[in-house]
Amino acid sequence: MNSSVDHLSPTTSSARFSLPSKPTPGSKLNIYERNLNKTRLSEVSAASLSFLFSEIVQYTQKRVSGINDLERRLNTLGYRVGTRVLELTAYRAEFSSKAPKREIRLLPALMAIHTQVWRAVYGRPADAIEKSVENVDEYMIIDNDPLIERHISVPRDLSGLSCSSFSAGIVEAVLDGLGFPARVTAHHTPTATHPTRATILIKFEKSVLDREDILK
Amino acid sequence: MSHHLFILSPSDTPIYNLTYSSTKPAPAIISPLSSNLPTWSTSAFAGTLTALSGASSTTQLTTGGGVRIGGGQDRHVIQMIANASLDAVEDVMRKEGTMYLKGVDKFNEWTVSAFITPGNTKFVLLHEAKNDEGIKSFFLDVWELYVKTMLNPFYSNQQVIRSSTFDSRVRASAKKFL
Repeated sequence: MNSSVDHLSPTTSSARFSLPSKPTPGSKLNIYERNLNKTRLSEVSAASLSFLFSEIVQYTQKRVSGINDLERRLNTLGYRVGTRVLELTAYRAEFSSKAPKREIRLLPALMAIHTQVWRAVYGRPADAIEKSVENVDEYMIIDNDPLIERHISVPRDLSGLSCSSFSAGIVEAVLDGLGFPARVTAHHTPTATHPTRATILIKFEKSVLDREDILK
Repeated sequence: MSHHLFILSPSDTPIYNLTYSSTKPAPAIISPLSSNLPTWSTSAFAGTLTALSGASSTTQLTTGGGVRIGGGQDRHVIQMIANASLDAVEDVMRKEGTMYLKGVDKFNEWTVSAFITPGNTKFVLLHEAKNDEGIKSFFLDVWELYVKTMLNPFYSNQQVIRSSTFDSRVRASAKKFL
């Protein structure tokens, strides 16, 4: 309570909105001296994230020729995020445990993406995991209202584009890191209640299912 | 007593390595193979052969107990042991869900312990004495430093880690735990 009042008072708030004359001690720290758990519960405002992502999409769109290319590039960008998210969330979850564990089974790994990874990136778990009926090697993660697409309306000539390709890239990186190589794509699958619903389709390589059979 | 740490990226390219000699005394190793080996001191491959046979005691005699060949002079032998152990590591990591794999491989006096990060980066440590808890703490320290390196947007996980801060911090941790 006290701290929030401090922020609002005019005498102390000036430093928050203008550049401080002297660098604060915190800014001198290099990355190796920072505590990895310090920012665990801090959040980025959804507005800045939307703004940043909109710039990412615009930047990417200027450099591609077609929807497939655009989705592939967004996927690549997401992949770079995913490798870091995986390492950081696992570190935060396992660092204090006596015997740190990696996920080696398929379903727990998917559950971890659905809950932990989604929570770390978007602040809440995804809405569902489904297994494809037609193909045994396909799984789907469903987000009814993807945070990054909330302020994006796709023009008609780009219909079929799903900006959640970025999330697909994150999922692909996490699965790759854990040793479940897969091809991950995003699809726009609107329903009456959820017009921006996105489905992340995961198609595993054959080796993944073979190994899963052995582990059973 | 020396330790050798190798960090390998997910595609098995070496991205960092460290040789650390601790002040703790080396345990006495009796290697039956090395005592039966003739001393080919004139051969060009003498160093490799003695190192491969684990003949730390014979070389210790020739150099007056100073530097032991088996104890870290022959980089190529050390690298070969570390690389060979990757097969064992990959076999185990498919079945075991723990990150810290202790004593996955043995070669003469060397024991190989490994640590697999969730992103499939491997830390491989060659050591002589048994020191499970210390090695685990060391690996966890290195993991923390590695995660911090990863978070740098200018770093991609195939690159060699050149940061001097990383190096000095790993050394400090080695000094503390090994």
